[in-house]
Amino acid sequence: MTARMSRVLAPAIAASLAGSAAGAQSWRTLEVSRQLRDSAPAAVQVIYGTGKIGVRATRNPLLYHMLLRYDASRTQPRHAFDTTARKLQIGVQKSEVRFDGQKDSEAGHLQLELSKTTPLDLNLDLGAVESDLDLTGLRISRLRVESGASDSKLRFDSLNATRMSMLEVSLGAASFRGDRLANANAADIRVDAGVGNVELDLGGQWTQDMDLHVDITLGIVTIHVPADVGVRVSLQKTIASFEHEGLVERDGAWVSRNWDSAPHKVRITAKTVFGKLSIDRTGR
Amino acid sequence: MRTAILPLILAVAAAPLTARQAAAIQQRPGAEKQPAAESGGRAVTAAPAVEAPDSARVQLSKSATDSLKGLVDRFRRDPEAVPLPAPDQVAMGGKTVPAGTALAGPVAAAGGPLHVYGTVNGDAIAIGSDVIVHPGGHVTGNAVSALGAVTLLGGTVDGEIRQLGGALGAIPRAAADVETPARSTRHALALSSSWLIILVLMAIGVLLFAGDYLEGVVDSLEGRFGRSFWAGIATQLALAPVLALLVVALAVTILGILLIPFAIVAFVLAVAGLITLGFLAIARITGESVAPAASKRYSARGAALRALVVGVSIYVGLWVLASAFAWAPVVETVLRGVAVAITWVATTAGLGAAVLSRGGTRRSTPAAPLAAVNDIPWQTPTPVTGVVAARRPTPSSSARER
Repeated sequence: MTARMSRVLAPAIAASLAGSAAGAQSWRTLEVSRQLRDSAPAAVQVIYGTGKIGVRATRNPLLYHMLLRYDASRTQPRHAFDTTARKLQIGVQKSEVRFDGQKDSEAGHLQLELSKTTPLDLNLDLGAVESDLDLTGLRISRLRVESGASDSKLRFDSLNATRMSMLEVSLGAASFRGDRLANANAADIRVDAGVGNVELDLGGQWTQDMDLHVDITLGIVTIHVPADVGVRVSLQKTIASFEHEGLVERDGAWVSRNWDSAPHKVRITAKTVFGKLSIDRTGR
Repeated sequence: MRTAILPLILAVAAAPLTARQAAAIQQRPGAEKQPAAESGGRAVTAAPAVEAPDSARVQLSKSATDSLKGLVDRFRRDPEAVPLPAPDQVAMGGKTVPAGTALAGPVAAAGGPLHVYGTVNGDAIAIGSDVIVHPGGHVTGNAVSALGAVTLLGGTVDGEIRQLGGALGAIPRAAADVETPARSTRHALALSSSWLIILVLMAIGVLLFAGDYLEGVVDSLEGRFGRSFWAGIATQLALAPVLALLVVALAVTILGILLIPFAIVAFVLAVAGLITLGFLAIARITGESVAPAASKRYSARGAALRALVVGVSIYVGLWVLASAFAWAPVVETVLRGVAVAITWVATTAGLGAAVLSRGGTRRSTPAAPLAAVNDIPWQTPTPVTGVVAARRPTPSSSARER
């Protein structure tokens, strides 16, 4: 049996080894940018499958600047700007998630810098990534972040100079933290998550009232609201807890005591099946 | 200060590749970026008359030129490259587009910088060196540097500014490439063969460390295939509701929410374990029936291992066979369909048997032995005529009488 077994297994082992050897990597760097000609609005679509991604404002007179490190044997960079439609597609084709034991330092990364003067309709389509989206200083007219399994941070350290019509975050299984979201200058913020941990800090400069919709199936949602902002929470929950310290029930919703007198208000509509919703009004 | 630095920058940027640097290229073909000049490079007078004359180019040695030609060829095949001019029109050692002139692109240099003072109507490309667009310089297309940099010193580029680093050339594609039939066949074969090896190793492990449980599932499966199969289907249908119930039960108690992820993982592991145990049990039965072992030749464990390997090879062999026809999609689809159907039936029956036997811990109860019957009184000769023979009691008739 041994001889027969070895005859059967030897080609199989050889074939599997050949298969693993075929998966050789070819790391490259690509840097692309485009000079800024005017400040007309532009639509930016960022596609990135796996790795680390960072987005921030550029200090140079450029419309965009991308520094990409990628495995050319598995992914294909995308960088196309339609000058007529003013639409930029940038990033890499989404690749399959591979568990090949590579270290973080060997993973791909993308650093994207965008113009501070151009109003941007920014759409980020991310896969399994670790993202750091520092949108401080950018002029964002609309923001949409869609991500599968990710650890994402979104930050606005200064007021968005353009009114944002919509800030939409859609997550699969993720950890998401949004810092100083009042600076996003958005009247409507929507966060939709499957499973995960969502932390939203509504600090920053308030210029208008805000509607915040949070829909999470399973997870923990924590919303930090400055003490001087009026809060009204409508909650639809199946099996979930709601920490509402400092809020009182009125007309089927929970409102802060300063609701009638607050200069700015946030109306929170939350839906959760399993999980926990916390409203923190102590300020951060 | 600024005026002092400017000539230095221009000198550094303007000098073409020296013979020594060209030799360095040959030695380091994969270098990320080539130095623009040696530190002792010649300074060039400041703008607006600052133009590096083409006469400043040094003659490259033949080996350096050959090396650069190889680099240019690799760049031509690179997926991020832009179209290059004909090979004899790539300026080896650097090139300058003088102010007031307009060249039709693409304009390319290799092994030395491409200085643009005038206009390039098209792409400006430098390979193994930099593209430098000086004040008044204009590139209407893209400015591309491979293993170098694109530097804007006041000029304009209408298109994209692109810098490539790392290995140049056609990339041997793994996932992103279009699969050739041979490659896809090789890949499919490697995958299915790997599964064969993994399952055989798992079979050995189960036999060594959980042989009793496997035996229990085999006992449950033997002679009760139909029942096991239906139990397997019922189990498959119940998996999602049971998991949902488990999650809800944990979520009802707030503290239990924290346990939900662990419970999901444990549930998945338990189901995977049952499926594996069931599949190996049916593989063993299949192996025993297809290639029965001569009882004297193998020990009990040896016979069980042989049956397992044969059984696993039969089931996974179907997948290997389907993979071998990956070059013929229709045949592969049919064979894969057959493999899916047979594997599903086997796995379902195995899962059912694993569930019925509680993971092999509950053996099927052997048939009750016949109650001892005292034969002695019935050993009297039966009369041939005249007397009716008494009915011999059997265990069932005894039970009925009771």
